[in-house]
Amino acid sequence: MGVIPETWNNVIALLLGVGFGFSLEASGFSSSRKIMGTFFAYDFVVLRVFFTAAITAMTGIFYFDYMGWMDMSMLYINPYYVMSAIVGGIIMGFGFALGGFCPGTSFTGVAIGKIDAMVFSGGLFIGVFIFSELYPLFQGLYNSQNMGNATIYEMLGMKSTVFGFLLIVAAVGMFYGAAFVEKKVKKVEY
Amino acid sequence: MAKNKRDGTFYINPYLGGVLLGLVLFSTYYITGRGLGASGAVKSSVVSAVHTVAPAHAEENKYYSKFLSDDASPMSNWLVFEVIGVIAGGFLSGTLYGRLKFKVEHSPKITSRTRLIAALAGGILFGIGSQFARGCTSGAALSGMAVHSASGIITMLAIFGSAYLFSWIFKRLWI
Amino acid sequence: MNKRYLLLAGIIIALGVGILFMPAKDTAKQTQPALLLAAIDDPSRFLSTDDITDRLVKKDPALLLIDVRPASQFKTFSIPGAINIPVDSLLSASAQETLNQKEMDKVFYSNADVTSDQAWIISKRTGLQRIYVMQGGVNQWFSTIVKAEKPAETASGSALELYQFRIAACQHFFGSPEMAATPKAGAEKKMVKVVKKASGAASGGGC
Repeated sequence: MGVIPETWNNVIALLLGVGFGFSLEASGFSSSRKIMGTFFAYDFVVLRVFFTAAITAMTGIFYFDYMGWMDMSMLYINPYYVMSAIVGGIIMGFGFALGGFCPGTSFTGVAIGKIDAMVFSGGLFIGVFIFSELYPLFQGLYNSQNMGNATIYEMLGMKSTVFGFLLIVAAVGMFYGAAFVEKKVKKVEY
Repeated sequence: MAKNKRDGTFYINPYLGGVLLGLVLFSTYYITGRGLGASGAVKSSVVSAVHTVAPAHAEENKYYSKFLSDDASPMSNWLVFEVIGVIAGGFLSGTLYGRLKFKVEHSPKITSRTRLIAALAGGILFGIGSQFARGCTSGAALSGMAVHSASGIITMLAIFGSAYLFSWIFKRLWI
Repeated sequence: MNKRYLLLAGIIIALGVGILFMPAKDTAKQTQPALLLAAIDDPSRFLSTDDITDRLVKKDPALLLIDVRPASQFKTFSIPGAINIPVDSLLSASAQETLNQKEMDKVFYSNADVTSDQAWIISKRTGLQRIYVMQGGVNQWFSTIVKAEKPAETASGSALELYQFRIAACQHFFGSPEMAATPKAGAEKKMVKVVKKASGAASGGGC
């Protein structure tokens, strides 16, 4: 890990981004109405792609770590600021419900010409700008309750392997659940 | 079969898409030790732009200055290139499956105008929220879940919980 | 299609079971961040110089006084009874062995508070219990014990008592050259150095 010379870094970023964007678009994440399907139970693509991706990557990490090809403990865990994360999540959820996109998917939408995606992306820049300008108001909340690079299994008091297993089981359970619900819900044209 | 695949309605199997995305995410962790991201690129662009247009203001402002002082923060460039890749990848897929088209996608029950206003509002809110949470669904939620980050998972739960609530309130926009 | 999905589900769950049986990383060894923060905020982790001096005089067997400054500084002067573990070698196997004595109170000191605090935090992260910082370090020790200030005539009884205690301690440590010489088994020359410095300080101060 990290053995690649600096100059290649950005090329790698680009290539990984291409993989990211391609997978998203091919799965349908360039369509806001498709994405919102999860919330109205007519298209669970978000659930399926999201959790499959998470458990695939996670499984890969566990096995590579076990084989000694990778050191799991060296992976970056983003710092946990309790209230700031929750407040941010709630605001994002609101934005998601209105806009039908999140940053990654909106860029995918931009790539294929979706004007609503472009407007959403523009909104993102404005939002970040507003936050930065009003930062003094938010400072306290933003910096409060720093729990450091906390992991969820630490917080729940279980081993990382147990959590990993449970996540996989939960994901598969949700996939079957989603398929079941889909059959029962009224079809929506989109 | 080929005709079907190119008319813009074909999407790959979501589980396949998930596996592909998972492999990309895994490779990102393997190569860089960090996960994917999207809002980070927006943030660094805004910081750079403000710094270029009004450097004194940027340095004074406590938020911009955070990201200016550790100036050659490798992540900021990295994410920008990654996002360029995302757009390229999306374009590639769009071309392959025949989805390239300028349009405003909206529910037949509302007008394009309404949709665009909602998209703008949504984007602004999402931009603000992503700063509080220090990430978005790609960076915090997706990458976070893969490495069991508490921040990532809690943020994800907040996003989806809130989105579920608000989408039913704004149901008219979608169904 | 259903059968195929069942197969895939089976595969990923099997992989999950595999994960379950992997030896889990010993993440519990590191103290959780919030706990660490709470521990840092707890004032009882600081012990005063008077406190330590008292225990040194009484030769408290449960006290392990650790000088975390570089070896050169330790040789020049150190508090009698202290051992030297420079902060950079705090995580070495031998240091860890020394520190892992559960029945002892491990007290870190440096010149002031900075290095000893760093040593404390590092040790806290390794999960060590009963660790403390001697507040003020060598500087404080010097200015209170060696150069004890005689309180004003009108000072409270306890202030006078404290002063008496400090003088007695100073004499206990540096009262006679032989006493200062014995703890340090080492080169003659070095011992002489210690005595000189101590008596120099003593004559300047309250001894």
